Amino acid sequence: MSDPVRVTPEGWEGRAPDGWEWVTLWDAVETGDHIYADERVQQAIDADIDPRNILDDGLFPGFNLQAERFSAQIIFIPEMLITARAMKAGLALIRPLLAAMAVKPAGTFVMGTVLGDMHDIGQSIVTIMLENAGFNVINLGTDVHPDKFIETAIEEKADLVGFSALLSTTVYYQKVTIEEFQKAGHRDKVHILIGGAPTTPAWVEECGADGWGKDAVEAVNLALKLVKEPREAWA
Amino acid sequence: MKELKPRDRVLRTLRREPVDRVPLFYRMKHEAKDKLARVYGIEDSATGRAHNPELELRLGNDIVLYQVGINADFSHRHIEIGETWYNHFGVGYGKSGLQGRNEEEQAEFAKTQEYWGPAKVVPENFPSFHPITCEEDLKNYEWPDPNDSAILDPIDDLVAKYQDDYFIMVDMSSTLIEAAYAHIVGTQNFFLMMFDRPDLIAAVLDGLTEYYTEIGKNIIKKGVDMVRVGDDVGAQQAMMISPEQWRELAKPRFKYMFDSWRKENPDIYIKLHSCGDYSPIIPDEIELGVDLSGLMQPTGGNKDQVGLKKKYGNDIAFVGGFDVQNLLPRGQVEDIRKGVLEVMQNLAVGGGYIFSPSHYILADVPVQNIYAMLEAQRDFGTYGRYPLD
Repeated sequence: MSDPVRVTPEGWEGRAPDGWEWVTLWDAVETGDHIYADERVQQAIDADIDPRNILDDGLFPGFNLQAERFSAQIIFIPEMLITARAMKAGLALIRPLLAAMAVKPAGTFVMGTVLGDMHDIGQSIVTIMLENAGFNVINLGTDVHPDKFIETAIEEKADLVGFSALLSTTVYYQKVTIEEFQKAGHRDKVHILIGGAPTTPAWVEECGADGWGKDAVEAVNLALKLVKEPREAWA
Repeated sequence: MKELKPRDRVLRTLRREPVDRVPLFYRMKHEAKDKLARVYGIEDSATGRAHNPELELRLGNDIVLYQVGINADFSHRHIEIGETWYNHFGVGYGKSGLQGRNEEEQAEFAKTQEYWGPAKVVPENFPSFHPITCEEDLKNYEWPDPNDSAILDPIDDLVAKYQDDYFIMVDMSSTLIEAAYAHIVGTQNFFLMMFDRPDLIAAVLDGLTEYYTEIGKNIIKKGVDMVRVGDDVGAQQAMMISPEQWRELAKPRFKYMFDSWRKENPDIYIKLHSCGDYSPIIPDEIELGVDLSGLMQPTGGNKDQVGLKKKYGNDIAFVGGFDVQNLLPRGQVEDIRKGVLEVMQNLAVGGGYIFSPSHYILADVPVQNIYAMLEAQRDFGTYGRYPLD
């Protein structure tokens, strides 16, 4: 596949002070320079650029480019991780400002690796991609008991939950955790996504989940679609 | 063709010479092995470094395996809840699957270990302490002794006892990149430090290379047939690191390792294993003179077995390729037979292939599926008969 091209946000000049330049931040996110990303986002905040524009015009172009390359297997986990780290550095400064402006997150997503499974590289990449797509993500880490998923979903009034598993011996716990949501009467209040090496579209059917992504990019697109679909309201 | 000795069957397969049937090689984790061992009245069903091959040989394995690597012990031993167990590399391991589990659930879990069908909840031993995460750690770190007789001496017994009939393989996994990320440094640390601290990553990889080169030489001196290098660099859909990064970080170090081993014995056979999709570096394996490549996970990005065989089958032998992610644990016996038939059609035609599941047989595999796989391997893995006529 040919290397994707970075998309320059149309009309960004009109949303920044005269003489402002974003290209250095685009490059920094692309190459994973988190120290510069942190500095530049702070400069943008100090220059009174709207935090939503910092996100869209400043941070996303570099990130989206790398996400596309990752999906196309042009770059791999290490490059994706350093880009994610740079993005995260910028987001950490912007997020409180967005919250203060009452910008609503795309949705609330409770993520974790199921009980018995300690693998988290895949789900940490999906987490950062979801955060970048505007989700409020609560990541419970690895080896997460079904009760903990349920408890957190209730507390956070989650829109979506995601169960990751790497092993054929632990993937079964995706099904168990979904059954526990059912028993607790909360199954229809959340959309449930599953992922991990042994998972397949057929396993989605069998375990009773709502969706599956082949990779992190697919997972995020699916989350963006599902969050708009109707479900039972939290009390 | 008259029946060959298992050792000759494997040797001839590696040389792409005609054989009577496709050699068989598989490994089990202790939960699965315990179940089957009981059927045969075999009391010692140890796995890992204490591995007793009797059960595997009874079930038709052509290869006797001994493990010496960084992960030879941790996943095969009992680790208590809350315990951290340290191996000879100073890596600490704990147990998963128990967070917040109550007594009732614990009892439910205990039952699955006695059950003849698939176990439903299997806790996993997992690296929980990584000994090198900064310069200071590296400075103070002591690599294990490659002349450790506790590790090396049992090889003499295996060679004396089995080599007349069987092929002796010594497994040194995890060997390099995987040993560094999964055990010594920690996964996320490793990937970030590839950019932040390339010098530290290089030093860790050099330390591993030195250790395994030396222990490998000691192993080869004992007259074994093959050393197995296990180094997971494949994820489900793609490689974890880029092929270029692998060529920079791993390939020259493997070259040094293999060249040193071949000085001990120019005829030593070398196997290189990675989980997941590692197909982009198969040409590099060939260039390094690797004899056997596998275990060929057939799902995700690596599923074109026919293509791989066609492209590389003349230059390298393959092992594995039978799906352990879905088919073996969850298939019906008819599906298992069909799956074995397909793998034989894809990889065994023309020789140069050893049948194996694409990884350990885990606790979730029903006993009848193990038998179905072994029977189908006999039925469809005999040369001169369908589908290998």
